[in-house]
Amino acid sequence: MSAAAFYSRARRTALGLALPLAALVAWEISARLGDVPSYLIAPSVILASTWDMATTGELWQHTSNSLVRALGGYAIGAAAGITMGLLAGIARPVERFYDPIVSLTYPVPKIVVLPILIAWLGSGDASKIAVVTAAVFYPTFINSLYGAKGVNRIYVWSARNMGARPIAVFLKVILPASLPQVLTGLRVGLALAFIVTVAAEMQNSRNGLGFLVMTAEDSMRFDLMYAAIIAAGVIGFAGDRLLVTLRRRALAGQAIGKEGAHG
Amino acid sequence: MTDGGTPDAVAAARQRPGQALLEVRELVKTFRRGTRTVEAIDRFSLTVNDGEFVAIVGPSGCGKSTFLHILGGFEPYDSGTMLLNGAAIKGPGPDRGMLFQEFALYPWRSVIGNVGWALEVQGKPRAERIAAAERYLKLVGLSAFRDAYPAELSGGMKQRVALARVLAFEPRILLMDEPFGALDAQTRELMQEELNTIWQETRNTVLFVTHDIDEAIYLADRVIVFTARPGRIKDEVNIALERPRRADVRKSAGYIAYRNRVWDSLRAEVLKAREEFQ
Amino acid sequence: MASSLGRFVARWYSVPLVLAIWEILARTGAISRRLMPSLVEIANAAWAALASGDLQFHASISLGRALTGYALAIVFGILLGVAMARSRLFDALFEPIFSFGYPVPKIALYPIFIFAFGFGSLSKVMMIFLECLYPITVNAFYGMRAVDRVHVWAARNMGATQRQIFWRVLLPGAAPSIFAGLRVALPISLIVVIITEMIGESRGLGYYISYVSASFEYATAFAGVAAVAVIGFTLDRVLVWLRNRLIFWERGAAFIGTN
Repeated sequence: MSAAAFYSRARRTALGLALPLAALVAWEISARLGDVPSYLIAPSVILASTWDMATTGELWQHTSNSLVRALGGYAIGAAAGITMGLLAGIARPVERFYDPIVSLTYPVPKIVVLPILIAWLGSGDASKIAVVTAAVFYPTFINSLYGAKGVNRIYVWSARNMGARPIAVFLKVILPASLPQVLTGLRVGLALAFIVTVAAEMQNSRNGLGFLVMTAEDSMRFDLMYAAIIAAGVIGFAGDRLLVTLRRRALAGQAIGKEGAHG
Repeated sequence: MTDGGTPDAVAAARQRPGQALLEVRELVKTFRRGTRTVEAIDRFSLTVNDGEFVAIVGPSGCGKSTFLHILGGFEPYDSGTMLLNGAAIKGPGPDRGMLFQEFALYPWRSVIGNVGWALEVQGKPRAERIAAAERYLKLVGLSAFRDAYPAELSGGMKQRVALARVLAFEPRILLMDEPFGALDAQTRELMQEELNTIWQETRNTVLFVTHDIDEAIYLADRVIVFTARPGRIKDEVNIALERPRRADVRKSAGYIAYRNRVWDSLRAEVLKAREEFQ
Repeated sequence: MASSLGRFVARWYSVPLVLAIWEILARTGAISRRLMPSLVEIANAAWAALASGDLQFHASISLGRALTGYALAIVFGILLGVAMARSRLFDALFEPIFSFGYPVPKIALYPIFIFAFGFGSLSKVMMIFLECLYPITVNAFYGMRAVDRVHVWAARNMGATQRQIFWRVLLPGAAPSIFAGLRVALPISLIVVIITEMIGESRGLGYYISYVSASFEYATAFAGVAAVAVIGFTLDRVLVWLRNRLIFWERGAAFIGTN
């Protein structure tokens, strides 16, 4: 990298860190001066206690609870969404079946059925996984649908021209051609899975990060509360980065533009 | 399908010059959009002989691409018969290899992966596939790019890969749908010369659709002029220019005479096509 | 005539189909009658809730909060997105916040909001504002960026001032993308208001649904869910209508979810 490029890169990174750092510093200072409400404990204290909890394992139990629910619901919801979405993309009758249902229920927050799901399935993991599944279905379905539908028919024609049977056309043309969009759906779905899990746990749960945030808040244990928030942020961020890397690997060589980076 | 021969040998084995290979009789195609019906092709008949290079020129929207799509088996037709080697044409298949204007290369496969794709799908063993793919890639002069991806190639290169791909599965007849339409004028001329050179070796039977008269006359043995919609044959010109065609044939008197003949025929149709939109 | 009715049926048939299946399941008691009330029971419960005014009361509260937060996000989101597109400084300052903050479950910050803004509507509106800000800002940013250079050059060629270019070329050019952001953010506003009301409140549809569920009145709970669905769907349709009026030169995808 040339010197000029390096400096502009460095400058950009510095500017990017400017606001968050400034906020943190301001926070730290005012917390030290004792001038703030009790819940705004100093960032240094937060970091220290979060580190403690992470290393002593207090945080892990709840984190893994949340992960199990989020990833469980994600796996099921995404599998269903992708399968149905691809199918609907290649078969009009399937699309016509799903279209009104998905359109009508898309703007409805899936979390709204949580109380009912809890009545059906109890307040343990099952109800959370169910609500996550329902939520994740939508972005994965919609993106897979548009991915499959959007496959240029020239690709399909050329495949049939070369003697490919319908199954081969699906596996060797439709699937790879829809992959970019399917991966976008997976990315949106993962973020959604974490959000819905935490939200559901905040509403009604016996463990998990959402539960931890609420109980810590209730008992004024702010260090625990921030630790839980940080943990939630970390798994959300890490999951996203993982998918971005996966996407880059899977689409290597295709020179697909970075998808609207923020989903 | 032969395996292992050089393009020359393959060509020689297939040559039955003069014999009718493709016979189209009284083809009719109508498009229905809602309540409107548009007659695209009206009782079109054509015969293409083995080893012949036939070009079709016509005004925009006259139905010449639709005709190729019907031959390729991608569009249904209303009535008429189409025979390849005496057998009726039903649906798409590798006996009528198609070269598309938009290249249709699969961006997720490398160049060599694209060229060997048809053979892959037909279940040919790997060694054979790769050998064939490399052979045809060499023919179009892109051996050095075998592991590159389509995104890295220019338009002209992509079309050469597409050409290699369609030659690789040795179709009985080649259908080319304005293959150079997406390229700039300079690349187009070079591609025409290349196609000519390659064709001299392989001697495929080719049905080539274009709106470019010069392209048609330069490449073909016979030029068919399509009427404005509904499409029919307006004129048929045998191009008796010397083979192999040299690049400077475009300057010859004979060429210019053909060009005038075809353009005079075509011009009236182009004007007619324009009127339709008035 | 017959064919347009036919097309209507073909397009929507799965909805009554699913409802019919539901009704059959409910009536035959395949799932506990209480947990899966029949559509008739739900309708009755909805009617009762409407008659007592409960449903409207809670719905209007939720709607008010959602739309307030949404409106704030629109104003600030577009301003911020446009600023980020026009000024490299703004872009450098704010871009990491958006790209890093996007996958983070911001809902986890809600308890802090409660401390900062109290238990009532303000904390919810602030949360909605924060969550809706993301898609709107990002889309406004990309929309502005994506305006074809050629359009700007043509405007300059025709003697337009910077100001004119901004209002007459850039904004209309960015409009489709901005609307896409608005369309994504709208369901988010509903989602967040419901979630925050479920967590700890005494008013709003989120609270209402969890309260009646806790009291085992599932038919009423479903009625509440249906109310949310109706609100969400109506708002979305209004937005689509607005978009088609304002951005008449570009038609988006007609139906499912995305723009």
